[in-house]
Amino acid sequence: MNRFAIAQPHTLDEASTMLQDKRYTLPVLKAGGIDLLDHMKEGLSEPDVLIDVKSLRSSNEAQPNITKTEHGFRIEGCTTLSELAASPELSEMGTVLAQAADDAATPQIRNVATVAGNLMQRPRCWYYRAQQYDCLKKGGHTCYAVDGENKFHAIFGEGPCHIVHPSNLAPAFYALSANIHVTGGDREMLHNTDLYHMPKDDFRTEHNLQPGEVITHITCKAAIHTAFYSIKEKQSFDWPLVFAGVNLQMDEGKIRRAQVCAGGVAPIHWPLKRVEFALRGVNPNDDAALRSACAIAAEQTQPMSQNAYKLTLLPVAIRRAVRKAAHLDVEDLTS
Amino acid sequence: MTMNQDNHTPTMMPTDNRPRNMGKSLDDNTSRLDAIAKVTGKAKYGKDHYFANGLYARLVRCPYGAATLTSYEEENASNVPGVVEVTIDGDKGRYHGHSVGYVVAETELALRRGMRALDCKWKKSGAIKTSIADTIDDVPAVTADNQALLNKADHVLNASYSTSIQTHSSAETHGVSIEHKGDHAVIHASTQGTFATRDGLERSIGLPRSAFEVNCEYVGGGFGSKLGFGKESHIAAQISDRYKRPVHLFVDRAEEHLDTGNRPGSTTHVSVGFNNDGTLVGGQIRTFGLTGVANRGGGVSVPSRRYTLGKIDKQHRDVQTNGGAPRAFRAPGSPQGAFVEELMLDEIATRANIDPLALRLKLETNGDRKEMFALGAETIGWTDRHATGKQTGTIRRGFGLGSASWGRFPARAEADIVINQDGSVECITGSQDIGTGQRTVMAVVAAHVIGVPLQQVAVRIGNSRYPASPGSGGSMTVHNTEPAMREAAEQVRAKLLDHVAASVGGDASEFDIVDGVIRRNGSSIASFNEACGAIAANGLTGHGSWDQREMRNDPTTGHSHGVQFADLHVDTETGIIRVNRIVAIQSCGKVICRKTAESQILGGVIQGLSYALFENKIHDPQLGAMLNPNLESYKIAGTADIPHIEPILWTKNQTGTRSLGEPPTIPTSGAIACAVFNAIGVPVRQLPLTPDLVLKALEGGAG
Repeated sequence: MNRFAIAQPHTLDEASTMLQDKRYTLPVLKAGGIDLLDHMKEGLSEPDVLIDVKSLRSSNEAQPNITKTEHGFRIEGCTTLSELAASPELSEMGTVLAQAADDAATPQIRNVATVAGNLMQRPRCWYYRAQQYDCLKKGGHTCYAVDGENKFHAIFGEGPCHIVHPSNLAPAFYALSANIHVTGGDREMLHNTDLYHMPKDDFRTEHNLQPGEVITHITCKAAIHTAFYSIKEKQSFDWPLVFAGVNLQMDEGKIRRAQVCAGGVAPIHWPLKRVEFALRGVNPNDDAALRSACAIAAEQTQPMSQNAYKLTLLPVAIRRAVRKAAHLDVEDLTS
Repeated sequence: MTMNQDNHTPTMMPTDNRPRNMGKSLDDNTSRLDAIAKVTGKAKYGKDHYFANGLYARLVRCPYGAATLTSYEEENASNVPGVVEVTIDGDKGRYHGHSVGYVVAETELALRRGMRALDCKWKKSGAIKTSIADTIDDVPAVTADNQALLNKADHVLNASYSTSIQTHSSAETHGVSIEHKGDHAVIHASTQGTFATRDGLERSIGLPRSAFEVNCEYVGGGFGSKLGFGKESHIAAQISDRYKRPVHLFVDRAEEHLDTGNRPGSTTHVSVGFNNDGTLVGGQIRTFGLTGVANRGGGVSVPSRRYTLGKIDKQHRDVQTNGGAPRAFRAPGSPQGAFVEELMLDEIATRANIDPLALRLKLETNGDRKEMFALGAETIGWTDRHATGKQTGTIRRGFGLGSASWGRFPARAEADIVINQDGSVECITGSQDIGTGQRTVMAVVAAHVIGVPLQQVAVRIGNSRYPASPGSGGSMTVHNTEPAMREAAEQVRAKLLDHVAASVGGDASEFDIVDGVIRRNGSSIASFNEACGAIAANGLTGHGSWDQREMRNDPTTGHSHGVQFADLHVDTETGIIRVNRIVAIQSCGKVICRKTAESQILGGVIQGLSYALFENKIHDPQLGAMLNPNLESYKIAGTADIPHIEPILWTKNQTGTRSLGEPPTIPTSGAIACAVFNAIGVPVRQLPLTPDLVLKALEGGAG
């Protein structure tokens, strides 16, 4: 680990200014510091200044990190995953988000990891995480996953980098039509689907924030029929193989409109528009209809040598999330 | 006897959940004497010893499976303030983690900076082999003789099984902190062999044995990887000798995965003939061990000889790859073999349409284990089991079983007990406690034999100045040290009673000691402490000596036996396995301290379950690096993955003390694999049993 300074701005605007301060070679925002510490320990990132934004909020008004608004919720970027998971408002009208937060990492990590940090964390690809592999993300010319160990890699996207985005919250925010509010650039917010780009556009980075832009807070809808479902090898601390967030608008027992987004399958959180379309008019109790709508999720995929099993898992994760969102029982190992 | 708990030990564990083995031990409920010290951090492990004026050292390691060190900036590294020495003594790396030198510095920070400044450049060199299939890509042909045998059978099972590489993942990493004081030294080592470390140091540290001692008061696990004198100790000793200064050298978590040993991966091909009634005629078994750069140590213990399998022609070959060498790992070779043998038997039972339990009882060679199978079946609820492949539905339940046996490895052990004038008792022997409960066991034996409350006994272990006793390997510690400690206790007790008899008159046989009270013909006459007040200032000493090495060649003596049953559910849409319950029946001779004995069983089962479902050292086939050298993607069972485990200590016909550390980890993976087969109707012949493999099996391909 190299020497670094710690800067403690008073506002997120000030943090944004520091990010663009030319005296620093590599200024980096630090909130929970979980992924940042991983990077520094492995020698993947050597920032010369850590800008501590852990407790910085979008405004000076005294209000909770999670507030109910006219149309939904306003969630500060510095809200911890524990706060999301424990929020009584979210548990009722933003279930998908509370469940996604509760599903992540460990209690210790959830107590410090933040919403903005969860969205901005880097991929877990083991070639990216190993310093000695000069993969595309680190300036090399090869994605080692292509001919290597790719069990946990993407089944969507044409490459050239085959990461999966690790954020549990991103699909949940999609389900709730979230906007990501930022400061320090020439815009105030961007839609959650504009937050990331595919590797073909720039494989070095995952996000679309401009230099100096800092996430301040997130606004999203409130909804009654939402749920998150993840499939993990281990039940204690593990990255899910596949996960899904859904939001259903129900009309007399049938799905009128669905928002469906998967994780663990693509370099970005992955909306499944064709599944959304197929779910329209489906009664979630009609198992055959539900299965056939969800099966569409596994079409148009590009599995690698070791991850075709995700084609089986993806429709299962979606179907179970839909059933949970419709407040139906899910037959799984927790039941 | 009743043990009083002092204020420093956790509260009593309720016993009513363990009705099957209540009250059969010397001591039922004493928690580890060092439990509080360990969980509060008061216990000082080797790694916790830092010394003023100390040096820090770290190894320079190859980052790929096969690479040449093409350049390094020795001068830049040496010029980093605080760097004391840079030594590079090789340029060929044959596996990720292979060490080619080291850096020594005044502080840990200087050490890190020195390593960075060294800026080693490696170039991939030569072909990379990471799996057995890289060398052996065909199933070995069945020989003519074996084919002739198979032709006599009603059916033949041809199947291939494989297991992953499991790393020991000890909580405390490998290393040593040497307190070198110029003309003498104390070595704080993380080792399973206090005396092996002492013997090894004589060649490295430049001091006579009289001038140094090895201290291993607390050791954070080893599972076989810390037997013998390690590379880390050798290098640290040489450095401390050169500078006559303290040296701290402990590897980090990644290095622990890479270069401190492993349970080697394996592939087994079986062609076994069996008849409609379930009898096996025998056949051919070919096993391969994935031994990294080593050319030995990959054995797979199948056939185990626990079952009558007919005439088996078994051959084994170790296959070299670009990986770290194996080391002994809790029952070396046995979990690999038991996984193959048990799943193979379940496949045979299913094809012969015989209940797997009935097949075990038919083929079982040991009477104790037959009875254990019956008890285990009753306890797990074997009658709830569905026939294999007969379930439909998303969630399916499975039952499986497995067995273990383990010999007794005889060794020499010496022990001393001192009774002091103030009534305090010290029991002393050199063997270390690597987390097994050895410290507690020694105290219980001494207190029980002498007749004093446990809290009156202080335990001194894990030091090379103490009476010599064995390393913690082969499950041999307790059954060799216990007789020595018992003899020492009997001797010192007799001396005290002689002393009492001489001072009050009468024959020593009239006196005894119960719960800290001296009694004469059953009536209390004085407290133990009062009696001790009258002995000489130096106290009384007893010495025990145990040497049963002559038993080494007698395989029938003192085996431990075990069987385990698993009850689990499989989610057939996701391939996820959730183990509900494991019943683990185990014999270990007479039980000394039940809670620590049960704890050994729990630990063995958890390690076996983790092996069955998760653990896998994964190498990149391109550059040969281990891709998961951490505790995140090298997956180990966590609390939510651990089922209800019911340990049952088998007390029938048990004499003496026997092995316990290793056997409970042998049957678990086989029992789980059998239960998965039972649930889904197709065998998954590869460990770990991850969802992708389960789904693949369900979709049509076995294993």
